[in-house]
Amino acid sequence: MARVVAPCHDAAMRDYWLSKLFYDVQTSAAEYRADRAKFLARYELKAEVKEALMRDDVGFLAQRVNPYLLRFYFAASGMKDEEFIRRLRESAPPQASRG
Amino acid sequence: MAELVEVMAASHAPLIARDWPTLEPHHKERLTAAFQALGARLKRAKPDVLVIVAPDHWINFFIDNLPSVCIGVGEQHEGPPEPFLKAFPWRPVPGHAALANHIYATALANEFEPSVSHHMKLDHGFCIPLWRMEPNPLPRVIPIVVNTLEPPMPRVSRCLAWGKLIARAVASYPERLRVALLATGGLSHSIGEPTMGAIDEAFDRRCIAAFNDGREAPLLELLEAEMDGAGNGSHECRNWIVAHGAAGSRGFTLVDYIAVPEVYVGCGFAAWNLRC
Repeated sequence: MARVVAPCHDAAMRDYWLSKLFYDVQTSAAEYRADRAKFLARYELKAEVKEALMRDDVGFLAQRVNPYLLRFYFAASGMKDEEFIRRLRESAPPQASRG
Repeated sequence: MAELVEVMAASHAPLIARDWPTLEPHHKERLTAAFQALGARLKRAKPDVLVIVAPDHWINFFIDNLPSVCIGVGEQHEGPPEPFLKAFPWRPVPGHAALANHIYATALANEFEPSVSHHMKLDHGFCIPLWRMEPNPLPRVIPIVVNTLEPPMPRVSRCLAWGKLIARAVASYPERLRVALLATGGLSHSIGEPTMGAIDEAFDRRCIAAFNDGREAPLLELLEAEMDGAGNGSHECRNWIVAHGAAGSRGFTLVDYIAVPEVYVGCGFAAWNLRC
């Protein structure tokens, strides 16, 4: 079945600063949750990316980072897996959902 | 000379640790039995050193510097940083710098170009199987990270070659050492994708049959063709391929396969046939 992922041998398109944020939040989740806007100010994020973060737009962010980092970020942010998966599926093209 | 005495693989789903109290009792029983079966094999093999082949889940490396293959050459390694692995009993994890450097040198001599880490953190990919197998005593550990998370990943055929290379390196190490290899990860699972939670049991069964059969060409063909479709976590089958190459591609014994929806993973446990 067709999947919307980059072939495993090709470098994928990534938003570096968004990825860096997600990477850092793994070890600073409490600080991030306490003051998200202050934490985000450390990163060179595009305005639309920052807005997507503020509204927890899983589908928008999923297009820009590694899926594992995406999962770690939303788990660290306090989103339950069920909600995360629901939002992922709602944002995906129909052929991307197998489960 | 050193000797390869055992080659195994086990899944490493983090929820096996994080959500253990809430897993279905029958899943807990089978997972426990599978880890214990591998642990018993390891105990019988009496290894001095355990090479563990696993991915790095964004702990040591990031996209500004992401090695394809990295060998932990330190005298010791850090234990897992994940909060749900606070109880992991071995911190630091003892390494074997001399054999690790010999694997590295053997790689360079054979036109492989791994990275090395003198101070590696071992995340759940390394530590959950190790912990659940309950080795006593704990062998010295050589961690080898294979990038199975972020493109570009090493080709499956390259992973097979890596396994053969590790076996040659062990065989040419001048000290008498008993060495085991544990590959972790897989089988099918999908993390952070719209298919998250899906387990492709049909893929897993084909995979197991191909590993059991042993022949390299059909196995490589299957994985190259189907891993992408079985979820991004399925790329961890690359680690199993390293084990397959290290064991001489003679097929394996399946210890158990358990599709565990609560941990999102088709969990596989196996030990390879080392002798004809």
